[in-house]
Amino acid sequence: MTPISCEVCQEWLVPFFDNQIEDSAVFNEIAFHLQDCADCRAQLEFERRTVEVIRALLTRSCCETAPTNLQERVAHQLHLLQLQQLAGFTQTEIIRQYRRTEITIDGETQIEIETSHEIRRDFPLA
Amino acid sequence: MVSKKAADKKPENLPVEDAAHPLELEASDPKSGGELVRVDREKESAAERTKRFERDALQYMNQLYAAALRYTRNPDDAQDLVQDTYAKAYTSFHQFEPGTNLKAWLYRVLTTTFINTYRKDQRRPQRADSEIEDWQLADAASHTSDQGKSAEEVALENLPDSDIKRALHEIPEEFRIAVYLADVEGFSYKEIAEIVGVPAGTVMSRLHRGRKQLRDKLTEYARELGYVKGGKP
Repeated sequence: MTPISCEVCQEWLVPFFDNQIEDSAVFNEIAFHLQDCADCRAQLEFERRTVEVIRALLTRSCCETAPTNLQERVAHQLHLLQLQQLAGFTQTEIIRQYRRTEITIDGETQIEIETSHEIRRDFPLA
Repeated sequence: MVSKKAADKKPENLPVEDAAHPLELEASDPKSGGELVRVDREKESAAERTKRFERDALQYMNQLYAAALRYTRNPDDAQDLVQDTYAKAYTSFHQFEPGTNLKAWLYRVLTTTFINTYRKDQRRPQRADSEIEDWQLADAASHTSDQGKSAEEVALENLPDSDIKRALHEIPEEFRIAVYLADVEGFSYKEIAEIVGVPAGTVMSRLHRGRKQLRDKLTEYARELGYVKGGKP
């Protein structure tokens, strides 16, 4: 078995420690290479620690709570949407097309207008 | 005989989902709090669906709000974005496949809404420089690999929350979203690919570059505050 190169190994380090390599053969090759290669292990360790630090810092600082005001806005909006849904209300667009016929005989004009087409389109509430 | 395999495959050939397809996430992972109750959507009334929505979806409001703050970078837009997200999620809730990952589905609605609506209005931040893969981090060996924390790590931990958010807000949007979804929300590459609508290989690249830029910025702040001595790390 020809071992993979450091270059190839390093391309896979990020998905390796993120545990995102689904192909077990690839995973094993990386693991084998790491066993034998101190440089790649050092690189892996560095990448891993970078991610750990970032995760810890972000999780610590990005944990805002939705303001009460927003909770009320969302609840109110859901209530309105629900009422509209319960009433079977949808926004409907009606397009009517007319045919207009004008006939002039001896100075007398006859105009006929008839509805030729009606299109109804129902939209779900946006 | 397996030996050529890793070399032949590039990381960007990780399982890639077709972003155009509807979100078909794996059955929910218990930590994401997805529900596992069988729901017959054909027979469900509007009132029942609303109840299910309130029970299952509203619990993610704080998380969605925190994410929206990272996306929009200001509280007013973040609140509007969360409200719009819930309105869209509610009106298309019948399309959500019960038993799949609801949290990821909501994040997809949030992210799509952000990209389609809010980002248009903003002055678009510079596009992340070319997204070619550059996996190798320089001078890895110069960093400690023993068990203890390096001085730099300790310095970073001492940074105030405001600096950490500032650093995150300063990195390009594509990177920021990828890092947030992976490192705060714990989504897999595959899930992020579906949430954001890009291939998994692109997610990996954005994640790698985003983390690196974030760390560089944080180190810079720590140095300004005098936590880290010396020049370039």
